[in-house]
This record gives sequence, C-alpha cells and structure tokens, in this order.
Amino acid sequence: MLTYYPGKTFLHRLDPTLKVLFAFTISTACFVFANIFVLLGILLFEFLLALSCGLWKWGLRSILGLLKLCALLFVIQILTYGDGDVLLRLYGDWVITFEGAEIGLILTLRITASALPLALMLRVTKPTALANSLYRYLHIPYKYAFAFGMAMRFIPIFAEEMAEIMEAQTARGVELDTRSFFKKIRLLMPLCVPLLLSSVRKIETATISAELRGFGLRKRK
Amino acid sequence: MPKNKQAALPPKMLPGEVLRFEDVRLSFGELKILQGVSFSVFAGEFVILLGENGAGKSTLLRLANGLLKPDIGAVAVCGHDTRQVKTSLIAKEVGFLFQNPDRQIFNKTIREEIEFGMKLHGIPTRPSYTEFRIPDFALDDDPFTLSRGERQRVALASVLACEPRLMLLDEPTVGLDDSEARQLMDAVKRRQRENNAAVLLITHDLELANAYADRKLLLERGRVADADILSWEDFSAQA
Ligand SMILES: Nc1ncnc2c1ncn2[C@@H]1O[C@H](COP(=O)(O)OP(=O)(O)O)[C@@H](O)[C@H]1O
Ligand SMILES: [Mg+2]
Repeated sequence: MLTYYPGKTFLHRLDPTLKVLFAFTISTACFVFANIFVLLGILLFEFLLALSCGLWKWGLRSILGLLKLCALLFVIQILTYGDGDVLLRLYGDWVITFEGAEIGLILTLRITASALPLALMLRVTKPTALANSLYRYLHIPYKYAFAFGMAMRFIPIFAEEMAEIMEAQTARGVELDTRSFFKKIRLLMPLCVPLLLSSVRKIETATISAELRGFGLRKRK
Repeated sequence: MPKNKQAALPPKMLPGEVLRFEDVRLSFGELKILQGVSFSVFAGEFVILLGENGAGKSTLLRLANGLLKPDIGAVAVCGHDTRQVKTSLIAKEVGFLFQNPDRQIFNKTIREEIEFGMKLHGIPTRPSYTEFRIPDFALDDDPFTLSRGERQRVALASVLACEPRLMLLDEPTVGLDDSEARQLMDAVKRRQRENNAAVLLITHDLELANAYADRKLLLERGRVADADILSWEDFSAQA
C-alpha cells in the first residue's frame, strides 16, 4: 500500500525534500480549513495528483479505505455531540444534531485529506533518496535521516508481511476475508504479536549489519 | 477491481476430482503470470509442481484455495467455485502450507499452534502428535525457540492434523537437509495415503519429485504442462 511505485512522472522526478515539504503543507492545510467544501476540494486535488502519477486506482482505494477507518470516529462524534439543532432523535437522550454531523464530517475529511499526501509522497519517492536528501538539504543528522529512511523501508516490509500473515491465517480458516470491518479487526488482534516479533528480529538484523559496516563508529571513538 | 465478468457458472467436477483449473489467466498489472492454465488433481494423487523461480508457482497455489481469483477462467476446489466461496470456508477441506512457516505460526505453544486449525474446524484434539515427529515433552514449548526446520514441521503438523482432502504445500523442503526433507515428505505421503487425499506440492528438488510424485507438472511461460514425459536431461537443460 505504501511501497515505492516506480515511474517517471513529474512528482516522481520532483526533489524529495520539496516533496516532503509539499506533502506536509497540504496536510497542514487540512487542519487550517474547517469548511467541508474546501476539504473536499483538497481531497479532489490530491486525487488528481495521484492520477498524474498513474496511481488513480490506488488513490481511490486509499480515500475509501481512510473514510472507512474514520467511520467509527464519525459515529462517536455525532453521538456524543449534543448541542445545536436536532437532525434526528434517537432513543431517549441520544440525538444527532446538524452541528455534530458537520463536525464529524469535517473530522473525517480532515484525517483522510491529511493522510493521503504523505502516503502519496512515500509512493513516489525512493526511500534511500528520501533519507539522503533529508540529510543534505534539511541538515537532519545522518543518524536520524538513516533511521527515518530505515523506518520508511520497513513500512512496505511491514505491510507485505501483514498481508502474508493475513493470507496464511485465512488459508487456515480464520475469517479474515469477512466483509465486516469490525469482525476483521477483532480477528486481527492476535496476529499483531507474530508480526511485531518477526519485525523486531528483522530490525535487529539490520542494525547489526549497519554496525558491521561501520555505522556510528566515528561517534564512539 | 474484478476483471472477471464471465458468467459465474460453477465448474462441474468429475468424480474424485478435487481441484480443477479451467483456462486460468492472471496478471499483476502488466506482468502476465498465468496465460491459460488448465489441469486437474484427483483424490489419492500426489502431484508435484515444478518450475523456475518466478514462474508463478506460488501464485498458482494461492489461486487454488481462492486467496487470489483468476482474471479469466475458473478454479474449482472440492466442489466450490473460488469466486463464490470464501477462502476461510474452503480452508475446512483444503490445507495450505506457506513457504515461510513464520507467516503461520503465532501461538504461544506448539500444542496451541497444532490445534489451532483443528479447533477452528471442530476436529477433536488429541493428547499427542508424535506421528509428526513432535515429542510430547516439546508440546508446551514456545514455537519461536525452534530451528527453522522444526518450525516448518510444526506448521506442517498443524495442516496435516486437520486431515484436509487437498493439501497445497509451497516448497516445504526448502532449507531442510536431505534426511529432514525425506522425513517431511514421508509424513505428507502417509497422511495422503491414509485419507486418500490429494497433494499439490511445489519443489525445486527433482530427485525428491521423482521419488514421491505420482504425477509431475511443469509451469513454464504461463502454462502448465504434464512433466512426466520430460527426462532428467530435459530438466537440466532448462535449468
Ligand atoms: N502480489 C503480487 N503483486 C505483484 N507481483 C507479484 C505478486 N505476487 C507475485 N508477483 C510476481 O509474480 C511472479 C511470480 O511469482 P511467484 O508466483 O511467487 O513465483 P514462484 O513461486 O514460481 O517463484 C514474480 O515475478 C513475482 O514478483
Ligand atoms: Mg514461490
């Protein structure tokens, strides 16, 4: 989902540092504006960006996925916000108000629209190029740039591993291919342990190989 | 995005047929992996699938239990059309062993790991599983302390213990030494004979294939062909 997608489009060729700044700017903008239509506009703009990288399918799927993830937040928001004109009266004291629905919608759109540019940035930037440029232009100490690059490199491994673990458990009969989102989350919980364990082992291996290649030697002397 | 718009007629299965690929095509983006694969596997058969690295063997296996759906064509397994029946349901009758046992193992003890599938499918558990060469005293150990070969054995035991009608095994002998590999193959063969089950197993090891297969298939250039007609020399020439 967040793996590097090779290509030669404008965004692919854009300097990694600019891309990071650009992505963070759009993300921040989502928290400045509290207007549904502005947020929808930003979301559309982001979709067009994804389209320009040949990633429209991914863009669409990500938007839908993020909206789905935010559905719970939306429900909590509209149920707990009691002020304003009543839109719908539920059981007893539970009401849904116009304001509650609006705030819930804004929250949902904000999270979706602010996550997408960062995800897109990761998809169109080589992880090593990202670490190098952070080091060179933003003068982030190499140690941290390296750690960041490492973290970025582990995201796709992590995602891939999770997908494989889910496949393996589905093939054993765990109903991870259910349509119900909540059921899936509940079934997934026990699987987080093996994922974490094997990832920690991998990170240890990476650390050892970095140290073997002399990483951090200068500091220690 | 489902590309398969073909009328969803469940493919008819012959008596004893447990797996059937019907003109299966599958691409990952531009990359065409399978380009019209047709073959069947019958109950009581031990079939070995050969093919070069990257030929699409693992992909084919994931199609066989519905983890992947064909772009075009149909896969029927134990009377189910994989387009219509969820993999988690197919799992009741079809065992699947991944190349990497660590994808599967997550329970705290070896016993829990072996009995995980049995409990899911309502199969009564037993006090001992020595037929998989797992000694009783080890059953309460943490599977993550085991060697890779031992973990492979535990993963396989959890598949075999469910007594599936069809076993799909992806390179189960990789990383094992000769005698370990043979012992693993023997365990599979024994279970297959006892239950008149079917096996579709991937390996690179020709010697092993010749020793255990009732029938060999070769996946090459997106198609599956009967490999029994090929001799040793043909294989070495291709390798
Ligand atoms: N989910 C996937 N997305 C894209 N490409 C894939 C995916 N899974 C496998 N491939 C590619 O398909 C080809 C065949 O893979 P695989 O079935 O694992 O081959 P084999 O098991 O014969 O070595 C490889 O080139 C692999 O990179
Ligand atoms: Mg493979």
